[in-house]
Amino acid sequence: MTVVILLVLPLAAAAISGLPWWRAGLAATIASSVGAFALSIAIAGDVLRTGAVEAIPKWIAVDGLTALMLLLIAFVAAMSALFSWGYMSRTVHEPARMRIYFANFNLFVFSMLAVPVFVEPTLVWITVELTTVCSALLVSFENTHEALEAAWKYVVLSLMGAGVALLGFLVLFAAMQAAGGGDYTWDGLVAAAPRMHGVLLATAFALVLVGLGTKVGLAPMHTWLPDAHSQAPSPVCALLSGVETITVLYVILRLVPVLSGAHDSNVKTWTTVFGLLSAGVAAFLLLQVRDYKRMFAFSTVEHMGIILLAAGLGTASARYGALYQAMTHALTKSFCFFAAGVALLVVGTREIASVRGLIRTSPVAGATLLIGALAIAGAPPFGIFLSEFSIFRAGLAEGRYWTMGALVLFVVIAFFGILLQVNRMVFGEGSGDAPVAPIPRTCYAALACSGALVIAFGFYLPQPLDRLLRLGALALGR
Amino acid sequence: MIQRIVFNLIQVAVVIVFSPLVTGVLNRLKENVQSKRGPSVLQPYRDLWKLFQKDEIVSDQSSWIFRTTPYVAFVAPIFVTLLIPVLTSYPLFFAFMADMVGGGFVLALAGFFKTLAAVDTGNPYGPMGASRTRMVGFLAEPVFIIVFFTVAFVANSTIPYIVQKQWVLSPAAFVAPSHVLLLAAFIMLILAETGRIPVDNPSGHFELAMIDESKALEFSGKGAALMKWGGSMKFFVLLCIFLNVLVTPWGLASEIALGPVLLAIPLVLLKIFLFLLVLVVIESSFAKLRLFRITEFLGSAFITSVAAMIMRVFSL
Amino acid sequence: MNVLLSLNTLAGGLFLLTAFGTVATRQARGSLNLFIAQSFLLASSALLLGIEYRSEHLYGVAAVNVVAKIILIPWILRRTLHEEVYTRREIDQVMNIPSSLLAALVLTFAAFFMTGPLQQALAPQFRGTNIPVGFAVLLLGAFTLAVRREAVPLLIGLLAMENGAFFAGISLARTMPLLVELAIATDGLIVVFIAGVLIRAVHQHIGTTEIGALTRLREVSAAVEEEVA
Repeated sequence: MTVVILLVLPLAAAAISGLPWWRAGLAATIASSVGAFALSIAIAGDVLRTGAVEAIPKWIAVDGLTALMLLLIAFVAAMSALFSWGYMSRTVHEPARMRIYFANFNLFVFSMLAVPVFVEPTLVWITVELTTVCSALLVSFENTHEALEAAWKYVVLSLMGAGVALLGFLVLFAAMQAAGGGDYTWDGLVAAAPRMHGVLLATAFALVLVGLGTKVGLAPMHTWLPDAHSQAPSPVCALLSGVETITVLYVILRLVPVLSGAHDSNVKTWTTVFGLLSAGVAAFLLLQVRDYKRMFAFSTVEHMGIILLAAGLGTASARYGALYQAMTHALTKSFCFFAAGVALLVVGTREIASVRGLIRTSPVAGATLLIGALAIAGAPPFGIFLSEFSIFRAGLAEGRYWTMGALVLFVVIAFFGILLQVNRMVFGEGSGDAPVAPIPRTCYAALACSGALVIAFGFYLPQPLDRLLRLGALALGR
Repeated sequence: MIQRIVFNLIQVAVVIVFSPLVTGVLNRLKENVQSKRGPSVLQPYRDLWKLFQKDEIVSDQSSWIFRTTPYVAFVAPIFVTLLIPVLTSYPLFFAFMADMVGGGFVLALAGFFKTLAAVDTGNPYGPMGASRTRMVGFLAEPVFIIVFFTVAFVANSTIPYIVQKQWVLSPAAFVAPSHVLLLAAFIMLILAETGRIPVDNPSGHFELAMIDESKALEFSGKGAALMKWGGSMKFFVLLCIFLNVLVTPWGLASEIALGPVLLAIPLVLLKIFLFLLVLVVIESSFAKLRLFRITEFLGSAFITSVAAMIMRVFSL
Repeated sequence: MNVLLSLNTLAGGLFLLTAFGTVATRQARGSLNLFIAQSFLLASSALLLGIEYRSEHLYGVAAVNVVAKIILIPWILRRTLHEEVYTRREIDQVMNIPSSLLAALVLTFAAFFMTGPLQQALAPQFRGTNIPVGFAVLLLGAFTLAVRREAVPLLIGLLAMENGAFFAGISLARTMPLLVELAIATDGLIVVFIAGVLIRAVHQHIGTTEIGALTRLREVSAAVEEEVA
């Protein structure tokens, strides 16, 4: 029941945003996202107590992994709603456009919340398509040439991937029928996996990996991601990079235990290849980036690769590491984009070359950008460092020395890439102009909240969260 | 055996006598569709009679090719008639002289002579039409080859009579995609080879836009008559191949007796007239293509025939 | 082979042909008409398979397809797109039409080969034209997206990909609940709506409908511009 309310909240907020008075929409958005966050905490508590929650049998169910996803999505949505308050008030002046923004925002949050709760794969596919569709107008919101081009590429490539993934899910259905039938749900698939024909499973997994991988941003299908995730308004970028990619990756990860259950499956090869390719391509492309929002977007590609790689390694600790990385990445990436948004407000340009001495222009912008960059690049004492370390440990314990070595290399390259650019931006010889616009208060609030968590998770992971992560890792294994 | 030779000769006579009628009917139908009255269906006979009475003027710069071409153009379709099923569904005396590929070669021989004759006289429009015809011809070759290949693959033979027996035996085989797609490709091929819209306008007068017609501009008198008659016979022969082998192999005589063979004549003519209706609809619905778009048209025909081949080879 | 399956194979052959058509056609209106023909063939294939295998789900699929793709999608496109977008035709292409047709042929062969092992792994009553043709049309739709520049042909390529996946799906997933079919169809409609809105926005703000030709966002081009400036 709580799950249904969780889904209805953003829909109601979207409806309210359509009213002529845009502040009503704003209030509804913030109320609904904070409410959704509270509900997701309640659901997580339920799951920790009872193991799994079934709202509508065979259609909607919440287990550990789903609860974790809901928690992340709701939190980032709440922070993003708060940040939008100040940011959009500063940048948009027509009430009609504000209404469009908030309506789309709520629909987007609804579609993302809907992905983990459904357990029938084709319904999940539909919700993934919905996330593309609901965010398309958000990406093109600024209506510049670049924004429209980015939105078009995003829509086309995502829908292409979705078409391929649809075929994959249908092949999976056929494989299940051929293996004797059963419920076409995630659990049903895992149970039926040993009976399914290897060729069918492999084909289905390959199609879904390539198709949904386009939406996640895995190389070599990542070309749309830097464009879309940099041209959108910053709160939307936080949502896109922070939680939308991981939500779609969640769908791929649900198939990993299905494939490992079949004989002679090579899920490890697939995930390793795509994971390393994404991390490598992103790391090298990071070195020549010219726009700091694109820089963060490339970093998303890299982290998605790392998470995929970790989830396919095969041990429980690796899977735990993957989910831990997903959590810290969501928090850190959204924080980075908030910082980037604030920097954009302050200096008025996206180009790295035009920004120097940010710390003098606006201490808050400079400091948050620096913290964000350090955190996302994997420096201690932030959460990403701990999660990456746990992945390395798990990988070395498995004996994957070359893979882990390559991964370390790519992470280090990305580290240098990001820090070099950000260092110059924050500390370089600057012109020391006054900021273009003052930072809104709500943006401070959003930055403070997310920043606090980013720093806190570098030192301490609360016990309930740890248990939730373990519960989620169970769902990824057999 | 004597009967088979006789039936073969009857077949040739049918083709010679009725091909101008087919052309006349087609012209009349085209005019009728455009709400005009149109010429009489017997007009081509009157034209041939008129041309045979007239004097022939031959340029003294031209060679023996120019003088021989009308005869080649007249005889080649007759040769091909001996090979294909026009009236009967069992092979006749000359049926094994050559197969479909051989028949194609003979028709191409006539085309070759016509092209050379167009260049022979020094008329400026002749070579232009000749080169355009060659372009259409070489683009149509791959389609022909793929069609023959698929048909031969199905029937295990390239003799038209044997193909006809194997090809369309049951309703299921009739709607098989390889069959339908081949029909589509072959129709496009007929349009290209006989110079119909959308490849060429057969009733146009503007020499700069002509593809097929400008090759025959220089002929007069008896030569012109033979060229026109040969053209009509080629059209009739292609239609026979299309209808009697690929589309509707029914209505042909299956017993070795004179009665059924004579009965088959009006049935074949009926089939041809029905197809002419389809042709008239196609001709009246489309505009003539620009010259370099013909590559796309024939490319689509090629794709259609290859799709038919793929579906057959993969046993779908 | 009985008549129903033979007709189904015919529908498959013509379906493949419409996909070739979307690669080759120049005009936006022609593209849309080919899509309508393609959806009609998809619905007829679903109907034929439904009669053959006595599955009511497939009848439902056929009906849903007819309503959604043949009636609603063209209507939605006509509402969201400016009339001018339909009169467009591509004068020059990324790859000229005969070459792109040949490439499409190679892709079709590749698709047929790749689905060979898949067909072997399925029970005999699942084999047939649907899976190879569906997969081929999926690839051809992706190819159309790569070589076309005008807005409507690009959108049709996208929808053709989904049609292809579905064509393979009606043979693979004969007992999928109808609710799912309805949801997928609705989803398709929403996709078309949003794409239409985007195309209109591009037309309004950038002034062209050659969406495939928009290429400002690139690392290399930015570098080149800097060097030139």
